[in-house]
Amino acid sequence: MDLFLHLCIMIAIYIIFALSLNLEVGYTGLFNFGHVAFFGIGAYTSALLTLHRVPFELSLLLALAMAGLWGFLLSLPSLRLRGDYFGIATLGFGEIIRMVFQNEVWLTKGPMGLPGIPKPILFSYRFATLPQYLSLVLAFTLLTFLVLRVILRSPFGRVLKAIREDEIAAAALGKNVLRFRIKSFIIGSLFAGLAGTLWAHYTTFVSPGDFTLLETILVLLIVVLGGKGTEWGPVWGAIVLIFFQESLRFLRLPADWTRYLAPLQQMILGGLLILLMIFRPEGLIREKGKISNAGDKGDQ
Amino acid sequence: MLEIKGISKSFGGIRAVSDCTLELKDYTITGLIGPNGSGKTTVFNLITGSIPPDKGEIYFEGVRIDGQLPHEVASRGIIRTFQLTRIFPKMTVLENMLLAPQHQTGEALWPLWVKRKRIQKEEKENLRRALQFIEMVGLLHLKDQFAENLSYGQQKLLELVRAMMVEPKMILLDEPTAGINPSLIRKMMAMILKIRESGKGFFIIEHNMDVIIELCDWVFVLDNGEKIAEGKPKEIQNDPRVIEAYLGV
Amino acid sequence: MIGSKGLCPQNLIFCLKMSFLFQSILNGVLAGCIYALFAMGLTLIYGVLGFVNFAHGELIMWGAYFLYLLMEKPIGLPLPSALAFALLLTALMGTGVDRFVFRPLRHANSLTLLIAALGLSFLLRNGAQFFWGAEIRTYGFEIKRGFRFLDISITLNQMMIIFATIISISFVYLLFHRSRLGKSMRALSDNLELARVVGIDSKRTIRFAWIIASILAGAGGILLALDTNLQPGMGLINLVKAFAATLLGGVGNLWGALWGGILIGLAENLGVLVISPGYKDAIAFGIMVLMLLIRPSVLFHKQE
Repeated sequence: MDLFLHLCIMIAIYIIFALSLNLEVGYTGLFNFGHVAFFGIGAYTSALLTLHRVPFELSLLLALAMAGLWGFLLSLPSLRLRGDYFGIATLGFGEIIRMVFQNEVWLTKGPMGLPGIPKPILFSYRFATLPQYLSLVLAFTLLTFLVLRVILRSPFGRVLKAIREDEIAAAALGKNVLRFRIKSFIIGSLFAGLAGTLWAHYTTFVSPGDFTLLETILVLLIVVLGGKGTEWGPVWGAIVLIFFQESLRFLRLPADWTRYLAPLQQMILGGLLILLMIFRPEGLIREKGKISNAGDKGDQ
Repeated sequence: MLEIKGISKSFGGIRAVSDCTLELKDYTITGLIGPNGSGKTTVFNLITGSIPPDKGEIYFEGVRIDGQLPHEVASRGIIRTFQLTRIFPKMTVLENMLLAPQHQTGEALWPLWVKRKRIQKEEKENLRRALQFIEMVGLLHLKDQFAENLSYGQQKLLELVRAMMVEPKMILLDEPTAGINPSLIRKMMAMILKIRESGKGFFIIEHNMDVIIELCDWVFVLDNGEKIAEGKPKEIQNDPRVIEAYLGV
Repeated sequence: MIGSKGLCPQNLIFCLKMSFLFQSILNGVLAGCIYALFAMGLTLIYGVLGFVNFAHGELIMWGAYFLYLLMEKPIGLPLPSALAFALLLTALMGTGVDRFVFRPLRHANSLTLLIAALGLSFLLRNGAQFFWGAEIRTYGFEIKRGFRFLDISITLNQMMIIFATIISISFVYLLFHRSRLGKSMRALSDNLELARVVGIDSKRTIRFAWIIASILAGAGGILLALDTNLQPGMGLINLVKAFAATLLGGVGNLWGALWGGILIGLAENLGVLVISPGYKDAIAFGIMVLMLLIRPSVLFHKQE
């Protein structure tokens, strides 16, 4: 039962994380390969603040603010770059931030990490046990899903899609492409920070090693597998992949086996990404837009 | 309305546009013709801000616009279409249309929460206009199709009415009839004439002389980046310099 | 590595600092040579196929591991033959990777390619970890003392690096400018379609490009591992260094890759004299990001 609750919590956290990346990747067409950096910034900010007795309500808000702020700062130089170079630059930024986590020992305690992160106390209610934490996370997941849904279905979301499809045409219609991209990036970073915060208070321990390329690939895979640019895609993707990722724990294998199974698991993830790109780049769930009944090509 | 003064642009060593001066008046349909490579699309790109001019100025309604960014120029009311249609492939016909109006309240983040009523009203109004336009060009039955599933001719019509949704002051059309069949061409010309009635100006690049003659009040002719002639379509047709440019004699 | 008192009677501190500086410069050039090998392979693939092979770092890493595999029991080959076979295996891996991952994606857009390459690098990295675990390994050679002159020391390993780099560069130069194969590769990088039309066998040329790029990567990886150590994660950071060098020298430009690599090596080794050593790798990242930002060819194209 505990394991089940753990799984649900992890899935819920990753749904938030994936939804945030989907906004950038799936809807705006921004391939941010450094997204895990904002997950980490949210985690570290909230952890540090609560460890210094700052109330959770405040630390959460500040964590979101920090994540959003750094999203803004990083977006400014990167958004001048073309698609794949943007990916590489954001990947570079992500790694640099991880190195900062690792080296600024005075702030983050470096590789030793920050243990003993307190459980959140929200409005005088302490979310310590698993079921309690799950309800907290689920509430935030639902909130995230709904907020993003409003955004994506709005005229704002429409412009994001247009930018993804053809930024030159969007600009020719009067849309300030750069501004929209920056806003999308900030929102995405903000929600990534939320996911990070929830994760930090769940595991009660953060260290730089938690925010590597592996996490980026995992969340990217979730978004791409589930179907980027769809509302529910990240949800299904998270369910499938986190289940897979955490499954090693179910089996409670001897440590020897884990030594081999962990890299094997990651190999499967990598291979899956490759196969997806070759055979089905659009993912499991396709975007809606009637393809049948296209027979009537009219006057042409 | 649109004044282009002494515009020049070179790419590397090649002079694409050379000291062009063109003036377009309100409520007119103006044509831009010339052999391939004479710099017509470059002129469009200079007007819309895709590229900055090396020399010269461009004024729209008295305001200087050269050197501005494309979206800024578009905000002033100059909307263009492209030689190879740029519709949004994975968005429906309707979405393509609804996207077009400028300065929608719902395009900013804060109003999504505090100005819901206003946004809904705008959406409703935009929807009404969009459906009207879509119907005018006979695409109503395809309104929920991804734009990429439309035929080439249908995409060109879509691009045209999408430009109309913006309520522009001037529309730049880059070879609107290229690659589409005659009946569709008729349809398009009828639309353009109808739209002109509501007070919009057109600037059209075309190779199809019939279209030019029927639609245009005034025509500019470019060759090798220079303006070599201008006048009423019938005059241009018989101008020896124009004939020479096209035949390369 | 700090020079002895040999040549410096008075002004010892200054002298020590100077020799330290020179040593850093030498180390920088040596590291740079290795990076140059990485960069040459990367830029070759970019030039011929038009994309950045994000899994190039894993070719580097596997080259080093192949040698390890061949020299350890039960295979236990002596160094020269093990070296040859290791490079051969790396070349096989390179062509295999192209055949199964990149060939199906020949016409995909660059983003899809990037993601696939990311997945591939992940696959290969964890593959190495699967076989050899995450522990750091070494080849087990002792560091043979080399020479010392002017208060700077240079080991035998390091001399090998210079030697190997010179051989590789000469070989690549001859290949590119004196052979038909080289001409084909240059033609392909200029214009893939046109080259095909003219009758250049693109499949064969592409395969050779991968072979050469893999050998360069493998050789570089082996040299690096000889000088430092082996670990499954060594791919990514070296890819970044290769990529930064490529950007510095101009994408597709082999000589540029050489200079770019040396510059990065120098920047790293001189950089740690002023900033914390923990950020040594960040220097390459930083250069990469900087180059991406200031190189105009990589910015959004204005509509033409």
